[in-house]
Amino acid sequence: MKISTKKWIILFAAAAGICAAVFLLVRFLGPKGTVAVISVDGEVIRRVALTGVDRPYDIEIRTEYGHNTVHVEEGAVSVTAADCPDRICVHQGRVTTAGIPIVCMPHRLVIQIEGDAVDAWS
Amino acid sequence: MTHGVKRLALMALLTAASLILFVVEAQIPSPVPVPGVKLGLANIITLVAMVLLSRREAGLVLLVRILLGAVFAGSPSTLLYSAAGGILAYAVMCLLVKRIPENRLWLTSIFAALAHNAGQLIICILVTQTSQLIVYAPALAASGILTGAFTGVAAAALVKALHKINL
Repeated sequence: MKISTKKWIILFAAAAGICAAVFLLVRFLGPKGTVAVISVDGEVIRRVALTGVDRPYDIEIRTEYGHNTVHVEEGAVSVTAADCPDRICVHQGRVTTAGIPIVCMPHRLVIQIEGDAVDAWS
Repeated sequence: MTHGVKRLALMALLTAASLILFVVEAQIPSPVPVPGVKLGLANIITLVAMVLLSRREAGLVLLVRILLGAVFAGSPSTLLYSAAGGILAYAVMCLLVKRIPENRLWLTSIFAALAHNAGQLIICILVTQTSQLIVYAPALAASGILTGAFTGVAAAALVKALHKINL
């Protein structure tokens, strides 16, 4: 069962392309939601409505792991500041769909958008 | 005796080099805003150690790099992620390094990178108790393939160069 180098390259390139495409589709075309659920260590610490937000506001999340500033606006949520080493949660930007949650791995923080009727995962 | 000293020096050199790569990489902001996606430059050295030294010695180089890396460029919780990823990647390398010829080191590297990312994702899901994070799997798989191929090609070039100077 010897697979040529060329075949390996085609196989991996195709796999990488498909995986990236699937992720981007889920990220941007996921179901819409109305509630942002903020959890630390797997425990929900706050549920924030994303509808009827007249003025965007910030929530400061301070835990034993560190600090994150969560920015809430109409239909979207983002992390605008954090004292974690990589700040990937900040670079993830605004999230508007339930597809991909925002994660701050060092601070064990997850922000997941849910539809108002949906309470299956919390 | 000189043989043992040479190996010890090589282990120390590789550990230092991988630690430098790890610390330098931590200073570069990730171009892709997905948790767990990174180039993994330090893995170039782990692969080189795997080829030039024994599995046990390469494992020691990796272990010291992970521990010191957390001291210099991380936190206790990042140590958990890099340890989980590192151990799984190491297991895969041990399994493949003798089976896949040296000129296909990039293949070993891709499988190791995929194992590394899988380990990180599993730990992340366990720590946050959010099974929903599995949606990150495709992004981490794609990144593992690309970064694994890159570090594998770099490691193969380094091994070739080091063979020339009889290390």
